[in-house]
Amino acid sequence: MLTFSHLGKTYPDGTDAVVDFNLEVARGELIALIGPSGCGKSTTLRMVNRLIEPTSGTVMLDGQDYKSMDPVELRRRLGYVIQQIGLIPHLTIAENISFVLRLQGVNKQKRRERASELMALAGLPADQYLDRYPRELSGGQQQRIGVLRALAHDPEIILMDEPFGALDPLMREQLQDELKRLQQAVQKTIIFVTHDMDEALRIADRIVIMRAGRVIQVATPEEMLRNPADEFVAEFIGRQRLLRQASEVAVREIMLDNPAMVSADTGLAQSLEFMRRRKVDSVLVKGPNDVFVGAARARDVQRALEAREQSKISAYARHGSVFVGPDDPAMNAIHHMLAYGLDAIPVLGPGKVVVGIVTRGTLAGVLDDALRTSAAAPALEANA
Amino acid sequence: MLSELWQYTLTHGADIWSLTVQQLYLVAIPMACAIVIAVPLTILSTRVKRLYPWIIGFSNAMQTIPSLALLVLMITIGLGIGIVPATVALFVYALMPIVRNTHVGISGVPNEVKDAAIGMGATKWQLLWLVELPMALKVIVAGIRSALVMTIGFATLAALIGAGGLGSLIMQGLGMADNAIVLAGTIPAVILAFLAEFLMGRLERLLTPKGLRV
Repeated sequence: MLTFSHLGKTYPDGTDAVVDFNLEVARGELIALIGPSGCGKSTTLRMVNRLIEPTSGTVMLDGQDYKSMDPVELRRRLGYVIQQIGLIPHLTIAENISFVLRLQGVNKQKRRERASELMALAGLPADQYLDRYPRELSGGQQQRIGVLRALAHDPEIILMDEPFGALDPLMREQLQDELKRLQQAVQKTIIFVTHDMDEALRIADRIVIMRAGRVIQVATPEEMLRNPADEFVAEFIGRQRLLRQASEVAVREIMLDNPAMVSADTGLAQSLEFMRRRKVDSVLVKGPNDVFVGAARARDVQRALEAREQSKISAYARHGSVFVGPDDPAMNAIHHMLAYGLDAIPVLGPGKVVVGIVTRGTLAGVLDDALRTSAAAPALEANA
Repeated sequence: MLSELWQYTLTHGADIWSLTVQQLYLVAIPMACAIVIAVPLTILSTRVKRLYPWIIGFSNAMQTIPSLALLVLMITIGLGIGIVPATVALFVYALMPIVRNTHVGISGVPNEVKDAAIGMGATKWQLLWLVELPMALKVIVAGIRSALVMTIGFATLAALIGAGGLGSLIMQGLGMADNAIVLAGTIPAVILAFLAEFLMGRLERLLTPKGLRV
């Protein structure tokens, strides 16, 4: 399907961004390119659609050397999703989704049909979104549209450059699941750049880990977890993931310390705008002396706004008594989430001041480890 | 004095009208030239970056010259007097706001939007027509708006080098120390300026795509 052969990029100042990149990608495979920033993963991706021209080697598409193709034609055979989303602000959602079709001269009615079709595929209510503009959507919704846009012309290969990197962990996971589902439904070959190992382990069929422009290891997630090629890979996967159990880990070690937060007297529209800016679907509300009041969901606030309610954000803050302390075991957070059906739990320090947040995303990694170690546990019991 | 103005308007109505029309030409021709030349050239300069310093440098320099001196300069460089040198002077004077705003508008289109569009296979022209121009239009029109209002003001001075227009009425009135005649020239000029400002404001709003309105 897609063959990278000796692909390389050396900049005029002599820096090697990518060195001798070789990879054979099968049809329908999801490949994650991962590595620390500056490792050449994005450069590699951008060489596939020739936004960056390689200085050596080439890419074969179905056996055809891509240098023999016109770059514009090549790009129209590929889908492209970027972290900053890049929806076109003066076009409606329908027009954004079908933008590639417009470039290809497909008529307006067909474009709209295709847009509705894709919305249905992603399980989004088409009539509610098609005629809206990008700025009316939250970050998560915008990136859903960004992904659909890359599917509009039914490309066989989709390139994604840290598509979910700017979203909050919860939204990121949702979109990862949706992407995985979507990929199973439409059978696309996807090259996915990320710096987040959790993400790569979660969605990739194979992971390519890079450092300083060179490929260090290419393996399935399972293989990579079992046999990291060297210290660097093991480090990158994260030792704590491999070793620790949920009951041993304190909330402090897994929480995110910069939760989206507003004060209780913030207006509804302002709060919603803040959530959009932070690209989150709920926000923590703090009262006087920074005391935690509750969490407000974007959905509720949006509904109240549409009903022209004049109240402050505090009216929509729920579950003010559900929280964990930073030194509680992470297990407590899991219990709370299950008991109250929540996606995130605030972490409160002395005086009920918010110090962080634990989301399902942060817990998934911990749970994963717990399962892994519990598989080894029966052997110990037998000895006892 | 109002009655004198009224009297003058009654007796010279046709003259005032024809001078107003002349004034309109005096504004429209250099403005049209400025738009047709400055907008494409500036867009080109967002592609060929080394062009921009020259274009903005020239239009800045022209605007920096005091308007009266610019008119006189036209005579000294051999264009003589009349409508042609006045048109040339008004043209170069109107360039700066148009050049500046076109450049700001086009280069203000966020990189990620351009990156996504190019990555999806937009050609250079599609990028310009479907993405950059619609997003920059509001700013470009705002530049044309301020150029237009300046040009209407400057156009009354063009009478000094014999280009006619409402300025000649004002000059005539000043020469004869007759305030009524001065006003007969000033009032239509002021109305023109306000009208232009108002209409361009409406146009600016009309041309702002719905998704970009705040």
